[in-house]
Amino acid sequence: MSALVALTLRTMSGTLRDADLLFAVLAPVGCFLGFTLALGNLIDTGGITYPQYVLPVVVVQAMLFGAMTTADRAARDRLSGFGVRLRTLPISAMVPLAARMLYCLIRAVIALAAGVVVASIFGFRMVGGLGCAVLFVLIVLAFAMAVCLGADALGSRIGSVESSSQVLLLPQLVLVLLSTGIAPAESFPAWLGPFVRYQPVSQVTETLRGLAAGHITAVGLAVTTAWCVTLLAVFGSLALRMQRRA
Amino acid sequence: MPDAAIECRDLAKSFGKASSALQGVSFTVPRASVCALLGHNGAGKTTTINILSTLLRPTAGSATVAGFDVVRQSGEVRACIGVTGQYAALDELLTGRENLTLFGKLRGLRHRHARRRADELIERFDMGHAADRRVSTYSGGMRRRIDIAVALVVPPRVLFLDEPTTGLDPRSRRDVWDLVSALRHQDVTVLLTTQYLEEADVLSDSIIVLDSGRIVASGTADDLKCRVGVSYCQVTPADPVHLSAIAMALADFAGADCDALIDQQAAAVSVPAPDGVVTFGEVFRRLDGLGIELVDISLRRPSLDEAFLSLTSPAVTV
Repeated sequence: MSALVALTLRTMSGTLRDADLLFAVLAPVGCFLGFTLALGNLIDTGGITYPQYVLPVVVVQAMLFGAMTTADRAARDRLSGFGVRLRTLPISAMVPLAARMLYCLIRAVIALAAGVVVASIFGFRMVGGLGCAVLFVLIVLAFAMAVCLGADALGSRIGSVESSSQVLLLPQLVLVLLSTGIAPAESFPAWLGPFVRYQPVSQVTETLRGLAAGHITAVGLAVTTAWCVTLLAVFGSLALRMQRRA
Repeated sequence: MPDAAIECRDLAKSFGKASSALQGVSFTVPRASVCALLGHNGAGKTTTINILSTLLRPTAGSATVAGFDVVRQSGEVRACIGVTGQYAALDELLTGRENLTLFGKLRGLRHRHARRRADELIERFDMGHAADRRVSTYSGGMRRRIDIAVALVVPPRVLFLDEPTTGLDPRSRRDVWDLVSALRHQDVTVLLTTQYLEEADVLSDSIIVLDSGRIVASGTADDLKCRVGVSYCQVTPADPVHLSAIAMALADFAGADCDALIDQQAAAVSVPAPDGVVTFGEVFRRLDGLGIELVDISLRRPSLDEAFLSLTSPAVTV
């Protein structure tokens, strides 16, 4: 337990210095401002304002960025002398993984808070009450955890620190840009429609949007929960397997 | 702890079908002694260290460290070893002091105890001036020093040093040598790997020479030198015109052609001296009788380099 705390604090003080925590704040703020200022007046989002519409995808994207840095960190822990030395210590092989995941959650909370604060200035409101707000946070964190576990498994597997986050750049862009997070499905070409509608980022952002507004469908919530649970299970078992292989 | 700090029996490791890194390596390192694994790149030194420090599982054979089996009791082994790899294993974003404190806590010390231990080591390793700078700003020598200090945060019973001085300048190398020598008096058993014969000679009580995954020789530095061949006596006249006269006078020592004794480049005559000083005295008496002026007459033993080269196959140059 104390090893877990020590390793997590080590990552925290490291990332305060290499500016990852700063990036955790700046990324959602920058993306929110970028999307809102560039697209706010161009996209017809129906009944709701663009800040209210776009905040969920900004948060989801921040979680994906977090996953990319996790991949780097996992690769570094695997390949660097530091990571090798950890494996010669009398601590469980799972502790470094657990420390990376704990850091991911902390980073996710910070990024979420930064996104919500800046969006609030532009008129975003959580009108669904406390229950919806709690659910909103839980879904964001579950999604963050799931993608971080996936990225961690990838980073632990891949051969070099340089390439692990690059590999995730394209999927991240595709999932965010081709989602209903930025624009409604009708704005996309018809042949892209099904992908845009059903891919996880769209599903999660729509549920988050509903929770912020205070009206969600049981089906929407069920689909989002299913995505999160499935991704957690699949990526989680992969990440654990990678540690055992080490 | 048993008398043998490290014991390997028929240790073998292969990576895939084609390459075998170790092929039946057996050796014992007595407690509180320093043992050097000597060999070229690819000889199997690091593989041996990795198996003993529980990073790799052997394909065959067994090994114990501090009496614990490295496969079945890996947790117990980890609790009593310190490891420094070929590359400094530190968090570059943290300061030297923070690294020491972190590894203290990872080894189970409480925060305050870990801080105090870090202070002690910084003082002992004379790192006060650099302790609060990030490791990324350190020179190679300082990195090494803090890296070894980290391995000593909780005093290990067995310390593995994989090429502790590779890439260091001569002065930093001396510093590391002093550190390792000091450990000998603290009941720490050290297994180090090196490509430098001088280092093995200076630091270790025993040397194991590895070549292509096998032990080709082991013993003390003196043992190894003896194994390679006998000493020889070298005579250098003031004027090289006398070389053949000297060679003629000493020919019966070699039982060979006079010319073969003459080393034109060194302008000297060398004869085997199997009986050491006795031979030397005989050579001296004969030459004295000749009345030739000499600048040097010396008894030479083969250098460790000659020993090493004759024991191992040529290094593979990549």
